[in-house]
Amino acid sequence: MDLFLIAAAIVGFYLAWNIGANDAANSMATSYGSRALTLKQIIIVASVLEFTGATLFGKKVTHTIAKGIVPIELLDHNLVVYGALAALLSAGFWITVSTYYNLPISTTHSIVGAMLGFGLAAVSQNHLALDQIKWGVLAKIALSWVISPLFGAALAFVTFSLIRFILLDRYASESVEHVFRYLQVLTACYMAFAHGSNDVANATGPIAAILGYSGTVPFWVLFFGGLGIAIGIATWGYRVIETVGRQITELTFTRGFSAEFATATTVLLASSFGMPVSTTHTLVGSVIGVGLAGGLASVNLKIVQKIIFSWIVTVPVAAAMTISLYTVMVVFL
Amino acid sequence: MKFFRSVGEVFGYSPFRSLAQHARMCGRAVGLLQQQFEALRKGNYDEVEELREEIDELEHHADQIKEEIRGNVTKSLMLPVDRHDLLEFLKVQDDILNNCEHVGHMVTFRKVRAPEDVWDEFSVLLSKLMEVVNNYEEMVERITQLVETSFSKKEVNRALEYVPIIEQLEHECDLIQIGLHTKLFNLENADPIDIHLMVTWVVHLGYVANAASRASDRFRIMVLGR
Repeated sequence: MDLFLIAAAIVGFYLAWNIGANDAANSMATSYGSRALTLKQIIIVASVLEFTGATLFGKKVTHTIAKGIVPIELLDHNLVVYGALAALLSAGFWITVSTYYNLPISTTHSIVGAMLGFGLAAVSQNHLALDQIKWGVLAKIALSWVISPLFGAALAFVTFSLIRFILLDRYASESVEHVFRYLQVLTACYMAFAHGSNDVANATGPIAAILGYSGTVPFWVLFFGGLGIAIGIATWGYRVIETVGRQITELTFTRGFSAEFATATTVLLASSFGMPVSTTHTLVGSVIGVGLAGGLASVNLKIVQKIIFSWIVTVPVAAAMTISLYTVMVVFL
Repeated sequence: MKFFRSVGEVFGYSPFRSLAQHARMCGRAVGLLQQQFEALRKGNYDEVEELREEIDELEHHADQIKEEIRGNVTKSLMLPVDRHDLLEFLKVQDDILNNCEHVGHMVTFRKVRAPEDVWDEFSVLLSKLMEVVNNYEEMVERITQLVETSFSKKEVNRALEYVPIIEQLEHECDLIQIGLHTKLFNLENADPIDIHLMVTWVVHLGYVANAASRASDRFRIMVLGR
């Protein structure tokens, strides 16, 4: 059993590291693209606030991932260990593959799909009844995936429109932008905090389940997840921030502020409801919202198709992989 | 770089800097025409030929920018202006350069002889034309500022103040053209073929001013039609 725990810790850490290296980095890249912060400053802000968000606010989403989808209290603990480990492995593998091909997939979608796969595998072996999987929660999660980018877009639209009509129409754009440079530092922190609070669960949810989750997440599990994310940012994320930031040159401080404020608010709201959402997809929605408000020189709507496609693929693939891994473990171990 | 996912893709291709660059080329083309007419007056035919080549190159480079814009402004891009308005504007702006190129060619067709006062009139026409395209360039230059302020009313008004100025200057070009035509058709002892060719120059220089005026109108339609 200890061996499984060590394996879960390693894969869970890898997942947290990947979240830091990619997802956290992407959500911080807007602050680098507009040059509100230097790369060094971003790494410090991101690491510290992702960690803080994860440890202080990561509980609710971790709860949802750990037992919100599969009623682990009804299963033998050994099966929970196999299932959660299989889910971690599948999500980790799928994220690695799609990252290699630069697909805009979401870690959140992968882990939710993987946990669903675990539940379905348990059903297929008659350890659970089909209606014992919490479909209601799953439906809510799926709904939150649709709502979060739309909400981000709406909020960003309103935020930027207000800035535009109240400030940009009246004052010289240079001085408005100058003020928002400082405000964007705040939203960058807000963003890192919100992201940490939501995405840490992708790693800590299954780990909590393996540890025999009963209702309270041990602090050190969130600590572990938060640390993984911070290390991910520091060891690989900075390169992603640099690369993505270079693609985002059209973003001024007012636009960056609007997109980040909308994204962070949406994600933090989702965290408070315990809903695991994709921060990157919400950010894409928010950027489109700024574009709809006439704030951007050009928005590429093709990415929406790509996101929807990756969505449709990720959940079944992660579920199928988990089912296979879980079955192998149950049969051979 | 492998192993990264990116939201950067949501930021699409922006055509505005290239549009302004394309407009700057119109100004340079008229500047080259000015030099060409000076060389012509002095009978410096080698220089006239060199300048023709330079204008050709400039027009070719501008065509590449035009192609770049047309190739990238796809339907899946969300721009702050209407895509059709933008492409139509670009097309008319490109006419400025095309007409400059025509004139650049036509002055090499024949070693024309003309009295000094005709050359003086050409030089007046070209100066006026230069004024038209200079104003035109400044107006299009404003597009980046417009995008930055999300087309704030103040900036829109400032940019569109150029339109009536350009239209007025174009009208002044028309008057100079009328004077030149009258002068050319009443030249004594001139070769009729020379007269014919010079009249064609005047007509096509008029097209340059005309294209600038129409392009500024398309610019206004694009900026207001959001």
